[in-house]
Amino acid sequence: MNAPYIALSTAFWWDQFINGLTTGSLYALIALGYTMVYGVLKMINFAHGEVFMLGSFAGYGILVALGGDDLSGPMIAAAILAAIAGAMVVSATASAVIERLAYRRLRNAPRLAPLISAIGVSIFLQYLVLDRTEARAKFYPDIFPRGEFGAGAFQVAYMQAFLIASSVVMMLFLYAIVQRTRAGRAIRAVAENPANASLMGVDVNRTIVLVFVLGAAMAGVAGVLHGLFFQTIRGSMGFLPGIKAFTAAVLGGIGSIPGAVVGGYTLGLAETLGRELLNELPGVDLGNQWRDVIAFSLLVTILIFRPTGIFAERTATRA
Amino acid sequence: MPSLAAARIRERMGAPIGKIPGVWRWPLFVGLSATIPFLLSDVWIQMLVFVGLFIVLGLGLNVVVGFAGLLDLGYVAFFAAGAYSLGIMSSPGSPFDLSMNFWLVLPLGVVIAALFGILLGLPVLPLRGDYLAIVTLGFGEIIRLFLVNREDVTAGSQGLSAIARPEIGGFEIESFTHWYYFVLAAAVVVGFVASRLRDSRIGRAWEAIREDEDVAAAMGVNTVKYKLMAFAIGAAIGGLGGVIYASFIGFISPAGFSLQVSIDVLAIVIIGGMGSTPGVILGALVLVGIPRILLFRETADFLSKLEWMREVLNGLIRGMDAFVPGSIGRLPPAGEWGAELADDTRFIIFGALLVIIMVVRPEGLMPSRRRQLEFAIEEPAALPATGAGG
Repeated sequence: MNAPYIALSTAFWWDQFINGLTTGSLYALIALGYTMVYGVLKMINFAHGEVFMLGSFAGYGILVALGGDDLSGPMIAAAILAAIAGAMVVSATASAVIERLAYRRLRNAPRLAPLISAIGVSIFLQYLVLDRTEARAKFYPDIFPRGEFGAGAFQVAYMQAFLIASSVVMMLFLYAIVQRTRAGRAIRAVAENPANASLMGVDVNRTIVLVFVLGAAMAGVAGVLHGLFFQTIRGSMGFLPGIKAFTAAVLGGIGSIPGAVVGGYTLGLAETLGRELLNELPGVDLGNQWRDVIAFSLLVTILIFRPTGIFAERTATRA
Repeated sequence: MPSLAAARIRERMGAPIGKIPGVWRWPLFVGLSATIPFLLSDVWIQMLVFVGLFIVLGLGLNVVVGFAGLLDLGYVAFFAAGAYSLGIMSSPGSPFDLSMNFWLVLPLGVVIAALFGILLGLPVLPLRGDYLAIVTLGFGEIIRLFLVNREDVTAGSQGLSAIARPEIGGFEIESFTHWYYFVLAAAVVVGFVASRLRDSRIGRAWEAIREDEDVAAAMGVNTVKYKLMAFAIGAAIGGLGGVIYASFIGFISPAGFSLQVSIDVLAIVIIGGMGSTPGVILGALVLVGIPRILLFRETADFLSKLEWMREVLNGLIRGMDAFVPGSIGRLPPAGEWGAELADDTRFIIFGALLVIIMVVRPEGLMPSRRRQLEFAIEEPAALPATGAGG
C-alpha cells in the first residue's frame, strides 16, 4: 500500500495525524448526541446516524440552492454558514419529531422496546432518503478553497483546518450551554435523577427534547462538514459514522460530554494511525476497511478492561 | 376416572382454539402446517421455507434475548458461521475443496457456530444491556469484513456455489416441498429443545439472570456458566439455520450476511413478543412472509384490480401539488406496486412498522404469558424508569 520510504517521512505521519483529527472531529460531534441522550434516557439513539445524514443532505440542498459550484468569493463563506445553520435546524427538528413519535411513549417500556423503535426509525429514514435520491450518491459542490498552509513538513489543508476549528467551536458552544445556562442546569439535573429533577420544578419532557435538539444540531454540523470534506453523500452514509461515534462515546465514558470529545479524537487517531502503524509491520498490508476492524476491536477491548471509559460518569455494567 | 376425561374431551370438541388443551396445540399446529404443501402453489411454499428458516433463527435468538435477556445484535455472525461451514466444506469452488457430505457438515457447522458463540460470549460476559448490543453488533460486522477480506478462506465477495444438499438414503431434498418439510422438521426440533430448556433448571437460571443478574448471582446461580450456555445454544441454532440456508440457496456470498439479517431476526423476536414461541412464528410470518408475498405475480394481479384506487390517490397528489411547490411524482400502475415494494419502499414500511408496533404494543404481538403479566402490573411512574438512580 505505502512504500516504507513514504511511511518514514515526518510529513506522512503529520498528514495521518491531521486526518485522524479530522475524522476524530466528526466522531466527536456525532458522539455528543449519543452521550447526551444516553445521559438522560439511558438509551442508544440508534437513529442518530440518520439525523447526521439528514443534516448532510439539508446542507447539500442549501448549497445547491444558493448556486452550488458557481459560488465565489465571500459568497462561499456565507453559503457554508447558511448550510451549517440550515442543517442544524433540519437535524434538530427531525430529532425532536423522532423523540415525540418514536421514543416518548416508550420511556417506561422495557429497554429493548425503544432500541427496536430507534432501529426502525433508522431504517425508515435511511431508505426514505435512498428512495428519494434513487440510491445515487450526491456530490457537495466543490467550492471550498483548496491549498494548505503551515511550515515545512507540517502542512494543513484549509478544509481540514476549517473542519477541526469549527468542530471545536461547536463543542465549546455546547459545553457553555450545558454548563452555564439555566437550560443546561436542567439537563444536568435530569441526567442525574429525572424524578428528583421533576420534583424540583424542571420540565423533564422539555429538557429531554432539548437534549435531542442540541445533540442533533451537533450532528447536523458534522453532516455538512462531512459533506464538504468527503464530498460524496448518500442515504446510507449515517450508519458507520453513527456506530463509530457511539464507540467514541463509550470510549470516553458514556454520559460524559468531555468524554465524548476525547473519545472521538482518540478513535479518529487510533483508527487512522493504527492502520498505518500495523502496516509498518513486515508482511502486513491492511486495506482501508481494516480501520473499522480496529475501531470495533478497540471498543471491545475498552469495554472489557475499562468499561467505564476514560471519563467515567457511572458504572458501565449498569448500562 | 375415564368417564370424566371423556366428558372433558367432548366438552372441548369444537371449542375455540383457546380451549384446546396445551399438550395438543403444538402437534395440531404442526400437523396442519404439514398439510400446507397440498394446498398451496410452489411460490407460497418457497416463501414458507424462508419463513420457516427465520422461525428457526428466531427461536435461536429467542434463547439469548428472550430467555436470558442478553441483547445480541450480531446474530448474523453465527448464521454466517453455519452457512460458511457448509460452503467451505462442501462447495467445489471453495479454496479447500473438501466436497464433504451435508450430514457430516451439519453437526460440524452447529458445533463451530456454538464455539463462535462462546468466543463472543467470553469477552462480553461483564457487559449488559446496550453495551452488549453494540459489541455484538461490532462482532457481526467484523465477521462480515472477515468474509469479504479473507479470500483465501471464504472465496471473498465471489461467494461459494454448488453447495451440498441433504440426501436421505438416496433421496435428495431438492423441490420446495421437500425443503418445506425439512425446515418444518428443523423448526419442530429446535422449538422442542428450546421449550424443554426454558422449563428446565437452565431456563429458570436464565430467567433469574434476565430479571436481575446481581440477585441471581447472590442466589447462587452460576451466571458465567449460564450466560455462556445461552450464547452457545443460541449460536448453535443460528448455525443450524445457516447450514440449512446455505444448502437451500446453494450459493452464499458475504452480501447475504449483513447487519440486516441480525436486525430482521431481532425484530421477529421482539415484535412477536420476547420469549414467546408463537410470537416468533407470527413475527416471521409478518416480517419475512408479507414482503415476499408482495413480490408474487398473484399479488400484482390482485393489485391491478385496484387501478381505480391509483386514480383516486393520483388525484389527491395532484391536488397537493397545487399547494406545495415541487411535485412528489405519481403512483406507478397498481399492478407494479408489489414489485415497487420490493426495494426501498419495503424497508421504509419495515422501519415504520417496527416503530408503530413498538409504540402501540411494546410487549410484542404475542407475548409469553409471564411477560403479559409483567406488563399488566403498573410500574411506578419514574419518568425514564430505567434511568432513575443510574
